[in-house]
Amino acid sequence: MNIYQPLLTTVTEVVDETADTRTLRLEFQDEAVREEFAFKAGQFGEYSVFGAGESTFCIASSPTREGYIECSFKAIGKVTTELREVNVGDTVGFRGPYGNWFPVDDWKGKDVVFVAGGIGLAPVRCVIWNVLDRRDEFGDVTIVYGARSVDDLVYKRELEEWGSRADVKMVTTVDPGGDTPDWTGEVGYVTPVVEKTAPKADNAVAVVCGPPIVVKLTLPVLEKLGFSDDAVFTTLENRMKCGLGKCGRCNIGPVYVCKDGPVFTAAQMKALPAEF
Amino acid sequence: MTEPIYTGVDDLRRIARELLEAGDVRVIIGWEHARRGARPVFVSDPAETDKLIFDTRCVHNLVTYLNPRRDAVAEFGKIGLVVKGCDVKAVAGLLREAQLTRDDVVLIGVRCGGVLEENELPAALALTPENVAPRCYGCDNREPTLTDHLVGEPQPEPPRPVMTIDERVAVLDGQPLEERWAFWTDQFSKCVRCYACRQVCPLCICERCIVEKTQPQWIESSSHPRGNFSWNITRAVHLAGRCVDCGECERFCPVGIPLSLLNRKLQHIVRDRYEYTVSDDPENAAPIGDYRLDDQQEFIK
Amino acid sequence: MSDRYFISDADLRGLAADLLGAGTEVIAPVATDICQSPSAIAASACSLDHSLVDIDYRALGTADQLDLSRGLPQLSLKGYFLPEHEALCRWKQKGTTTEVIEVPTEFAPRVVLAAKACDAAALEVVDKVMNWDYEDELWNGRRAATTIVNLTCPMIDDSCFCTAVGAAPDDVKGADGLLTPVAGGYVYEPATDKGRALAEANKARFSGDVEADTLGREADDERAAARERVAANLEIDAASVRDWIDTHFEDPLLSQLAIRCNGCGACTSVCPTCHCFDIVDEQEGVGRGTRRRCWDTCQAPTFTLHASGHNPRDDQHVRYRQRINHKFAIYPLKFGEVLCTGCGRCTRVCHAGQDLVEILEAIDIAARRPGDDADPAADEPAEAAS
Repeated sequence: MNIYQPLLTTVTEVVDETADTRTLRLEFQDEAVREEFAFKAGQFGEYSVFGAGESTFCIASSPTREGYIECSFKAIGKVTTELREVNVGDTVGFRGPYGNWFPVDDWKGKDVVFVAGGIGLAPVRCVIWNVLDRRDEFGDVTIVYGARSVDDLVYKRELEEWGSRADVKMVTTVDPGGDTPDWTGEVGYVTPVVEKTAPKADNAVAVVCGPPIVVKLTLPVLEKLGFSDDAVFTTLENRMKCGLGKCGRCNIGPVYVCKDGPVFTAAQMKALPAEF
Repeated sequence: MTEPIYTGVDDLRRIARELLEAGDVRVIIGWEHARRGARPVFVSDPAETDKLIFDTRCVHNLVTYLNPRRDAVAEFGKIGLVVKGCDVKAVAGLLREAQLTRDDVVLIGVRCGGVLEENELPAALALTPENVAPRCYGCDNREPTLTDHLVGEPQPEPPRPVMTIDERVAVLDGQPLEERWAFWTDQFSKCVRCYACRQVCPLCICERCIVEKTQPQWIESSSHPRGNFSWNITRAVHLAGRCVDCGECERFCPVGIPLSLLNRKLQHIVRDRYEYTVSDDPENAAPIGDYRLDDQQEFIK
Repeated sequence: MSDRYFISDADLRGLAADLLGAGTEVIAPVATDICQSPSAIAASACSLDHSLVDIDYRALGTADQLDLSRGLPQLSLKGYFLPEHEALCRWKQKGTTTEVIEVPTEFAPRVVLAAKACDAAALEVVDKVMNWDYEDELWNGRRAATTIVNLTCPMIDDSCFCTAVGAAPDDVKGADGLLTPVAGGYVYEPATDKGRALAEANKARFSGDVEADTLGREADDERAAARERVAANLEIDAASVRDWIDTHFEDPLLSQLAIRCNGCGACTSVCPTCHCFDIVDEQEGVGRGTRRRCWDTCQAPTFTLHASGHNPRDDQHVRYRQRINHKFAIYPLKFGEVLCTGCGRCTRVCHAGQDLVEILEAIDIAARRPGDDADPAADEPAEAAS
């Protein structure tokens, strides 16, 4: 079996996160793979619908939850549109895990701040669960999550769960005009809400994911709060095909995002040509 | 046998310099002599207008640089473009299809008596039946139209090539269906799907080419016979009645597919069915964008 | 020299015939007289002297198709290792069950005769990325199955610059042996076990009698002459070119050098080292299909286009810069080799006049220019970085 041949998985759960975002839970069909498969928070895979092709997303479930993987996606392109049509029991191809990961083990004893916008919560969710499942090893955990509107918030059940935990500071926000009459969270863009939340930077790391504009605007705010560029992590999503550092597509300047990334520190990202 | 110096070159350089100095244009796109022969040049400094040349090696259809997709070219600002008579047909095509406004460009026409098939030569050659670009045969645009400036002396008719494109098409047409099929199968099998033919075509102006569409995917991107036939035929048909016969697609093809035969055949069909021949008249709408009640349509089944 | 053989003209053809007779695929330059082929209709010269040819690496049908007198084949050897399109796997579907069918990664032995040094060297350069942590079994399988015999390059023109990028017209990099023309035939020098095995297995065709001071010297002279011919075209300091590109991403020179480019991508197709590919699914009837990889090009806007519509490289001069950057800075920094073997095909195939010899010369001059940069180290000789 060559490196481009996918493993087969069965869809065991389909969750509509929003009107256009869906999460699939996938279980490997091969028993040995199911037992041995392991990955780290931040890694990604190539998910395929046979006949439509492959698409790249991070693994959105936590490495601490074994036996399945999850992915969340918006139906935009050819593959994601087809992927949206699959039902429980259908087969989906998977190659991975690929790429580097968030150095969660290095964060032991530190505060962890998560900032996510829109579907950017998918790669962060994986790290959040990874941290929460080993909660004792970390300091304060702060999550700032924003979406355009209440309807656009993904992982709603988990947002509630995190919000109800005493050991998590959870701030949820929607863009002005995106709130509903019974909305109890913040109203405002993610960046100012981060500034207002003002997590302390001392002995802390931050994970930022979201639309490019959210990342771009949040980095200076974190800098202002005292986070060094080495303590801020994000994931880049360039167009990819192979995920294996061969096809050349995700190459920007000196890095292949699929092999040298997708996780980069703000310092590393700032050193790259602006081709992402 | 080298070509005598083209008499219009001094005028060409002078006009280019004046246009740049007056700020009427920001860049002149013309031809220069380089290490490997004649090639396109972008001159934005009036002092460098002496780079400009015109001779029988100036085969390129520079109108391809006016294509609305060319952002880097557009960044220069207003363009002064050097055009042969045949190139003007491509300008007319862009005007006809509302891809260009006439005021966006200053056209410097060069009277042309034909070009070589090969531009990568150390010096210009006088035209002979063996070296002339076959598309020049029967040229009806030696005197460029639509231009703002016109240089050079009236030129003689280009020589008749050893074999004209029409004659080659006739040879193909004279063959039985199976042999024509074998011929095109053989030719298309060479295609590596680089899409050079599309990129250099001055009239391939689609924002997103049909071959790039994936929902649905009309044309397979693999270079197997299925994919190659779909691509090459679709490209040709999209240019039926629009192709200006500049031959850039064939010239740029890295594997030598004789696309001009296909293009010419479609020109014949359009001429015979719709009495339409592509011209340098921007008002003369092509059948592909012009519905008439008496259009032949018996082939729609 | 102990490890040199002589093979006559007739025996070289005989060797090809023996291999073909034994059922081994033999790939070699083949000239197609386009006046004889169906494309006669296309050839402007078809009523002339029958001298216009397409030259290509082809699987020989018969030994006499072997043509050693011509220049560079239109396409490099790349396609024999990374085909224009190839199956990665196939699938069959019934209801909700899907079966994935593997494609073979082992290939029948084959021999390439009279490969150009630039084309063979390119394979070894691309080996690096094809084995970067993950081994590409399809590439490696074809590499392992192939014995490549180079021919000291007989045709060098003004677009060749192999010696400027660390290769040479008589190189055996990426190959298993080298033929050098001498009076009456060729001197054969094996470079690897596969190359030696070829001579061993076909002993009758080779003679061990290569006198160092006659035939041997003739071969050496021929090789040296070929190197000199190429070196006259271009000399650059590849290390300073690499460092200059790496540190001058936004330099206007790079966009100026790209201005003529039409983004046609022909250069990447004919390039022996351009290896970027796409992966596509093709449905072939109901419930079955093939996942393929196809050549792709960084010169196409769709190469980097995101599903959202955002395109990080949305203009042609930026895409051209990427090609130069990848070949002469990114790849050397990552894999220690320039992703170019100086074959010059990109220059020959570019009818808009993008000339890599001229472009490298311009970058080399910029790299040697006393720095107007803030970085004083930029003027230092570049070996520090290597």
